[in-house]
Amino acid sequence: MKFVMEHVSKRYGEKQVLRDVDFAFESGKIYGLLGRNGAGKTTLFNCVNGDIKADSGNFFIIEGDNRRNLKPEDIGYVLSTPTVPEFLTGREFLKFFLDIHEKTIRNPRPLDEYFDGMSIAPEDRDKLLKDYSHGMKNKMQMLISIIAQPNILLLDEPLTSLDVVVAEEMKQLLRSLKTGRITIFSTHIMDLALDLCDEIVLLNHGELEIVDKENLDSQEFKEKIIAALREDSHE
Amino acid sequence: MNRTFALSFSLKNTYRVNSILYGIKQIPLIKKLLPDTLYQSRVLKGLANVISILWEILSVFLGKLLYFLLMFICAASLYPQLNGAALFLHILLCLTVIGSYANTFMFNPTKDKYYAMILLKMDSREYALTHYFYAIAKAFVGFLIMGMVFGRMVGLTVGQCLMIPFFVVGLKLAVTGWDLLSYKRTGKIPNENNLSKVQWAAMVLLLAAAYGLPALGILIPQMAVLGVMGLAFLTGLVFIPVIWRFDRYPEVYKAFLSQAMNQMDKARQAASNQSRKIIAADTSITSKRKGFEYLNELFVKRHRKILWRSSKRIAAVSLAVILAALLIFWLRPEAKAVVNGLLMTYLPYFVFVMYLINRGTGFTRALFINCDHSLLTYSFYKQPRFILKLFQIRLREIIKVNLLPATVIGGGLALLLFASGGTDQPVNYLVLIVSILSMSMFFSVHYLTIYYLLQPYNAGTEIKSGMYQIIMAATYLVCFYFTKLQMSTFVFGLSTIAFCLIYCVVASILVYRFAPKTFKIRA
Repeated sequence: MKFVMEHVSKRYGEKQVLRDVDFAFESGKIYGLLGRNGAGKTTLFNCVNGDIKADSGNFFIIEGDNRRNLKPEDIGYVLSTPTVPEFLTGREFLKFFLDIHEKTIRNPRPLDEYFDGMSIAPEDRDKLLKDYSHGMKNKMQMLISIIAQPNILLLDEPLTSLDVVVAEEMKQLLRSLKTGRITIFSTHIMDLALDLCDEIVLLNHGELEIVDKENLDSQEFKEKIIAALREDSHE
Repeated sequence: MNRTFALSFSLKNTYRVNSILYGIKQIPLIKKLLPDTLYQSRVLKGLANVISILWEILSVFLGKLLYFLLMFICAASLYPQLNGAALFLHILLCLTVIGSYANTFMFNPTKDKYYAMILLKMDSREYALTHYFYAIAKAFVGFLIMGMVFGRMVGLTVGQCLMIPFFVVGLKLAVTGWDLLSYKRTGKIPNENNLSKVQWAAMVLLLAAAYGLPALGILIPQMAVLGVMGLAFLTGLVFIPVIWRFDRYPEVYKAFLSQAMNQMDKARQAASNQSRKIIAADTSITSKRKGFEYLNELFVKRHRKILWRSSKRIAAVSLAVILAALLIFWLRPEAKAVVNGLLMTYLPYFVFVMYLINRGTGFTRALFINCDHSLLTYSFYKQPRFILKLFQIRLREIIKVNLLPATVIGGGLALLLFASGGTDQPVNYLVLIVSILSMSMFFSVHYLTIYYLLQPYNAGTEIKSGMYQIIMAATYLVCFYFTKLQMSTFVFGLSTIAFCLIYCVVASILVYRFAPKTFKIRA
């Protein structure tokens, strides 16, 4: 499976945030999306997720010879600030989600198994989500986003505000989830990107560009990335 | 000192100009015509500058005009039997005492003070003094002119009118000076937006004295008021040097502004915390339903407080009013004919009543902040069939909530019509009930449709749609207009029913057609 962007453009007034972006993401890989502050990473995600309408361009899924438009259910989107419906308990949110997806989720498991998989403690499962901590809300959001097995998983700075233990758990989880789907991961933390991602993609001057690792060691690779970000911004 | 004043004044003017430009940019259609660089445009800036300066001049008089109109002239009309001049002075004394500590100018934590003194580190003493005396001068001019206009209107002499600005300003100076002295003694920082319990109690007592005593026929003697006014002015004079020489403005303002800004941030959060708080923490609330019905039932049950409580209260109050009317019919049978006449011609008035009691905006607000705000970030939630399914469920729910008071009012009106002598056309009973019910349904559909079509909130739960606000204001104006309309209840009732039915159908079609595109979080 491939996820293809074709001629995607977006401008805010004078500022061209996305400039005729053409890119193909391949399944089974984690893509690290790097860009400077204000480069448009969140805008790109929001366009893919349909929260913002792109000025032009299309998003496709290609499976074998079959090419179709991107659908909302293809996407799981995890935001840096987790948002969960606060009037539900963790268990109720999960049940609601499974209810409305009963036709599409193949062989659902008992609810507690899902919680176990995310290491959400039994005593927290029946608490209202408004009383969850930041990290727990984040796990809950991640759980809901991956349970329907979306083809594309978008993660906007997801690990930045998590404690080290939860962050490590999340990293493991992302690695275990990468087969069969495309994971796109935006971050400012270079080491995290190099550690977790299979490909590094730069968003610079409204264009997406893959950075070839060639046979550089990680220090040289870092320098290459920084040089690319730096010089492009002074064009 | 002049330079500090000029600089800070131009700072204040700059962001006032920017706010005006921002406001213009929020108006639909016009915003499309304006360039993104409008903050650089000289012409627009010049225009906004003119507005800003006009506003500065107007603000000297406008507030005072409203103050005297509402607090004095309207109030005086309640007590036509009392001496106008004496009543005016009585109210003036009570209200000015409140104003002396609740509206000091010095201890009002405003954004411009924060920007100037904390962020831009301007000289606190110079800033405080120039702005304080500027505000005092503005108040003086405002009270001089408006006091003269309204004072003469109620029969004060020119001399007495001239005392008004000196009194108001003198008392403010005295209280502020006193506050500064007591800061030196106790270290307590006054903040007029955070009054103490004693100050609140004093305010209630003074208001009661201002408007309650006249009802009992008691007024403070005119000579006593004039004496206090003179004394207050002299005391104010004594305190001017205290204010001028006070040397600890930097620390006062630093402590007081950071405390106040902290409060403002809290206030902003409080709105969303407030909505969070209304979620019933009772986890024994459950639902046996599935999918969206499950989501909806839990939402309604956990928000019962805000969704149903006011609706039940309105129903209870309406019931009480109807019973009271029936009681009046029994005690004073001559009232029947009047009410009967009203019921047959004043149905349009109930459009406004139904507008006022409809809980639609509260409902959609709770929906957004506690539910859609988070769920709209999940793509599954945005699938068209799910949006429409939930729209149907919510429409049913919001109609249910509003139907309770509507049934009481509609049934009650029919009952009153019957008890007041009835009508020769029995169909009028039915028209009354059905038209009230359809008005209630109309508002329910209206608010939910507007919410789905415009979804005015952004991720920070602020309203970001100028269109939404315009429609809300237009709804108010149209409903208000109906209070001026007199029409036969039969004709108006039937047209209301027809209109509501058509509106509901059109609204549903629009939502089905457009909501999947429009129902999303604003950027």
